[in-house]
Amino acid sequence: MSDIPSPPPIAARRGISVPDLLVALGVTLLGLALLAGSLKIPFGINAVVGPRVFPLIVSVGMTILGALLTVNVLRGGRAEPAAEEDTDPDAPVNLGAAGIILGGFLLGAVLLPTLGFVLGTAIMYFSVALAFGERRWGLMVFVSLAVALVTYLVFTHGLGLSLPPGVLKGVL
Amino acid sequence: MDALHSLFAGFETALTPLNLLWALVGVTLGTLVGVLPGIGPALTVALLLPVTAKLPPVSAFIMFAGIYYGGMFGGSTTSILLNTPGESSSIITALEGNKMARRGRAAAALATAAIGSFVAGTIGTALLTFAAPVIAEVAVQIPPSAKFALIMLAFVTISATFGGSPLRGLVSLFLGLAIGLVGTDLQSGQARFTLGRPELLDGIDFITVVIGLFAIGETLYVASRLRRDKGSVIKLEGGASMNREDWRRSWKPWLRGTVLGFPFGAIPAGGAEIPTFLSYTLEKRLTRHPEEFGKGAIEGVAGPEAANNASAAGVLVPLLTLGLPTSATAAILLAAFQQYGLQPGPLLFVTNGDLVWGLIASLYIGNVMLLALNLPLAPIWARLLLIPRPFLYAGILVFSTVGVYSLNNSVFDLFLLALFGVLGYGMRRFDFPVTPAIIGVILGPTAESQFRTALQQSNGDFSIFARQPLTAGILLIVVLALILPPVLRARAARTAKGTMSAER
Repeated sequence: MSDIPSPPPIAARRGISVPDLLVALGVTLLGLALLAGSLKIPFGINAVVGPRVFPLIVSVGMTILGALLTVNVLRGGRAEPAAEEDTDPDAPVNLGAAGIILGGFLLGAVLLPTLGFVLGTAIMYFSVALAFGERRWGLMVFVSLAVALVTYLVFTHGLGLSLPPGVLKGVL
Repeated sequence: MDALHSLFAGFETALTPLNLLWALVGVTLGTLVGVLPGIGPALTVALLLPVTAKLPPVSAFIMFAGIYYGGMFGGSTTSILLNTPGESSSIITALEGNKMARRGRAAAALATAAIGSFVAGTIGTALLTFAAPVIAEVAVQIPPSAKFALIMLAFVTISATFGGSPLRGLVSLFLGLAIGLVGTDLQSGQARFTLGRPELLDGIDFITVVIGLFAIGETLYVASRLRRDKGSVIKLEGGASMNREDWRRSWKPWLRGTVLGFPFGAIPAGGAEIPTFLSYTLEKRLTRHPEEFGKGAIEGVAGPEAANNASAAGVLVPLLTLGLPTSATAAILLAAFQQYGLQPGPLLFVTNGDLVWGLIASLYIGNVMLLALNLPLAPIWARLLLIPRPFLYAGILVFSTVGVYSLNNSVFDLFLLALFGVLGYGMRRFDFPVTPAIIGVILGPTAESQFRTALQQSNGDFSIFARQPLTAGILLIVVLALILPPVLRARAARTAKGTMSAER
């Protein structure tokens, strides 16, 4: 999806990109945190290679890659945001929309066991539609509930999965 | 002739009415989800995994085979009618096919893509039928150290050799490897990186990672920079069809595309992207209509689409015979096998022959079904492109939630899903490819287990990796694949600088 080779960054845009630097330092810190975690894993008993060797390799590798990435950023490297099917690379970045989706998803997830699968996922559906700029409120509520209900029925009755009915227990 | 014999037995399995039905459900769902913009074949298979949860293994894999090929067929419809490639291997189809559609030749573009995919898929499956048992027979004798080396080769080629930045690919891979470490170590029973959460003792399910990184990450990312102008969907009247001239110009590119695509799928070399580009370049050079290229030449759709589908068949060779996935989709298929307690590899042909051959037979059947499904019904699939984006992405999110929640009926998994969604957003924003992370999550534990088995057999002697000739040879290629591209690039840059200053 995002594996399209991007053209080399334009030489004119020099200077160090702060977000890129934070990401590079984040990768390095993650490597160090993994290293600390790996060192806490005890050696295995009677094993030639214990449970700790592979985590050590991974964490040291991650730390080195983080350091290389930091050097790369300090020398002016910066990431090109991916171009996807429905995105516009020149559009103003709207983090609020992503926030609405995330918030709606977490709210739906927390309420899912009590309210039930249908209402929980309807909240999620509604929040995505909202974030993507849909404003026909009645239609949004109707489609949210319809999609959630049909999904629930197909998966529980058609495929035999068990999903929590919640407040709609007995009705469905 | 053993292969033919086994294949006939496979057809006996696949041709039962119930299994035919599962194959039909698979190709239909695969095409349906594959057509939807924003969803590539890898995510199609991951999203549809819960659908197969209650099926017996043979039926489930017959359905997967349908989903896998269906997803590949569906992608070309989106590329041609909407000019939006779902994955990098469809870029060429979008490039040339959409131009054709704009010139009013949508029906021919869709037909040459579908028939080309059918031809390539069938020839590719035939090659798989005869190559797989031979390779499986050899593969039984590969020692653990060489298996470890092969996995390293897949890691390096998928993350570092191809794609924009090797460094970013490797970071992505290591992220996946780290995620794969979480959980109980099977050999010692030791809990690793569980942060004291009992939910993490069983490890993080790959479905959560795949759906989080692909579907949730994509939804968040698209929402943050949504394209406001609606992409124009080209109207299609009647089914997909070709005239005599189209046939004459298509059949050779189909065959050439197949020849290019299959081997690239079968070696760990970064998937279907390269053969589609190669096929396009080749057709451009051989054509009698060079003026049409870039403006909608039918050869430029026929060749790359065939290459794309032939490589999809090729990918199944290392997957079934070595347990080695060479693409994100194959990695998810591998994980699906593991969910059924099956380990793809040479032994699978011995222990689960009916399953493997049933799967291979159903690939032939699925291909025929897809052709029947795609030519006359093309206008119906095209209508799927008209679903408004808010409702489409909301639907993808709800479907993702079902897939992840139904694994353990646990809200904790949904929080993990959100976490990987944010990670997926960050990877898109900061240009880290997602595929290496997926391969790392799924193949990391296998790599560790082969690594440890190899060292146990040699009593902890690390020189086993240098003394075993096959292992040493593959590891040498791995090191070269890591070192050579940056060196060559640096030299090319220096030469370019040299000529520039010399010209001054």
